[in-house]
Amino acid sequence: MISLSSYLFISFTLFVAGIAVMIARKNIIAMMLGIELILNSAALNFAAYTRFINNNLEGHLMSLFIIVIAAAEAAVGLAIVIRFFQIKETIHIDDAAQLQS
Amino acid sequence: MGQNYLASLSHFIPELLACLTMFGLILIEATYKEEQKGRGFLFLAAGLGLASVTVFSFFALGKEPVAIFTNSLIIDSFSSSMKMIMVLGTLGAVYLTSQSSDIEGNLKPEFIIMATGVLVGGMLLSSANNMLVLFIGIETLSILSYVLASLKKGDERSSEAGLKYSLYGGISSGIMLFGMSHIYGVVGTINFTEIAIVLKSVDQTQIAILLPAFLFFFVGIGYKIACVPFHMWAPDVYEGSPLPVTTFFSIVPKVAGLAALIRVSQTFFATPGALNIGWVGVLSIVAALTMTVGNVSAIGQRSVKRMLAYSSISHAGMMLMGVLVISELGTRSVIFYSVAYLFMTLVAFYVVSFVSDKYGNDHFERFTGLVFRYPLMAIAMCIVMFSLAGIPPFSGFVAKFHIFTALLVKKYYVLAVIAGLNSVVSLYYYLKIVRLMMLKDAESTESISGFSIMNQSAVLALTIPVVILGIFWEKLIIMADGAKVFLQ
Repeated sequence: MISLSSYLFISFTLFVAGIAVMIARKNIIAMMLGIELILNSAALNFAAYTRFINNNLEGHLMSLFIIVIAAAEAAVGLAIVIRFFQIKETIHIDDAAQLQS
Repeated sequence: MGQNYLASLSHFIPELLACLTMFGLILIEATYKEEQKGRGFLFLAAGLGLASVTVFSFFALGKEPVAIFTNSLIIDSFSSSMKMIMVLGTLGAVYLTSQSSDIEGNLKPEFIIMATGVLVGGMLLSSANNMLVLFIGIETLSILSYVLASLKKGDERSSEAGLKYSLYGGISSGIMLFGMSHIYGVVGTINFTEIAIVLKSVDQTQIAILLPAFLFFFVGIGYKIACVPFHMWAPDVYEGSPLPVTTFFSIVPKVAGLAALIRVSQTFFATPGALNIGWVGVLSIVAALTMTVGNVSAIGQRSVKRMLAYSSISHAGMMLMGVLVISELGTRSVIFYSVAYLFMTLVAFYVVSFVSDKYGNDHFERFTGLVFRYPLMAIAMCIVMFSLAGIPPFSGFVAKFHIFTALLVKKYYVLAVIAGLNSVVSLYYYLKIVRLMMLKDAESTESISGFSIMNQSAVLALTIPVVILGIFWEKLIIMADGAKVFLQ
């Protein structure tokens, strides 16, 4: 039987992995994947808490909305990355250093 | 149930009107044939739509608080006054867009449409009584802001600003959601009023989970306000975005975030206990750091726009102190501060925008001797700079005075001292520009086309409240008095 704590452990691992990706990777697409990992860890948490502890649908509702909004955010983010790539011809985060003075 | 929703709609008119304005603007933008004429019509439609939103939120002031849509939104005087401030900020940014040449002509309609969208998000955020609505509000605000920041097509800095904004925004909203999920796990509901009831009877282990969870939750809102550990995006984004967008960013998302933060603090942490101490402690540290870092970084800037960006960070720290006292006096002082801040920011950015349109940059030297060429504009700018620094008799002083009163009533002496010292530091860079404008000879006698009679009168009209509110502030305090936060 899979218990609540295993779900929480998995989601926590996802969260830490997402943060680690954000810090360690220099590729902007990889960093956006890190953001998706973090958002999914929260969605998983909501679903797990609803399934095991709270007998209401609010958690499921939250997970659904997280999935929808994550998609919207990824779409806008990728559009901006494409614009950045068209100008700079690179998707390395270190090349985004024009604005430091 | 259906009737309930219909009845809720009658309290939801400002938001609906803002949505309608947005859709109408999209239709106009999609259909007009003659560029110049159609754009003028679009600006007119945007102005009328936003003005009607202002009127309807004004009439919602002073009414009894109501919870609508199965208790997921609360419409009270506090949220209505915050909405009014945001709509006025948007109107100001829209007017600046119509005059500025920093945004290309064919992008101006896009800016207005998306700014209205951001406004809808901010309005949702200011009356959210439910984690889902709060999350949707923050995301509506953020996702459209990413696009706004990278509005200048083909401009390296603008797309970089959008990129940084979206990366920081994505990670902070993810962290906020992670915190929310654990709060939901512990208390079992996402409704703020129900959470507040459960929070009164939590045991030690639950608090051990809730404290970090609320800290994570704060990251999301703190990022929108741009307070210190999460402020890194702000100067870059403010500098990289076109000037009207910067004006918009330094008002609307900030006020929306503060409104959400005030509601969260008032509903969850009004009762003393471990949670209250933890929350107030975190907010105090953040407020002190925000003020200090904002002010100290503003000193060395060459670009006036970037200086204003840092100064807006330090003002956010000031307003945070009104939030952390968790009292009615504090809420009232934050409302007053936001009103004063709105007018001061608009005037400052208007003048900077017209000067920078002429010269292509906004370095301090561009302002030398402005008083000999455009005396009225230079005087307006001086008044605003004095007011931002908190010198009497302008509204900035009264606003700061109220924050100090709220702090001293609650006996937060250390914070008050830090805030006072910061005001002194901020004098340095505000007076630097005043000195350049007033005492140095002009570099050139060229005329600045942005300072047409219409724009000059707009700047002066916006300066009047800065002075009036500094002298006759009781009237507004009485208005803000009606705006008590809905407490259970």
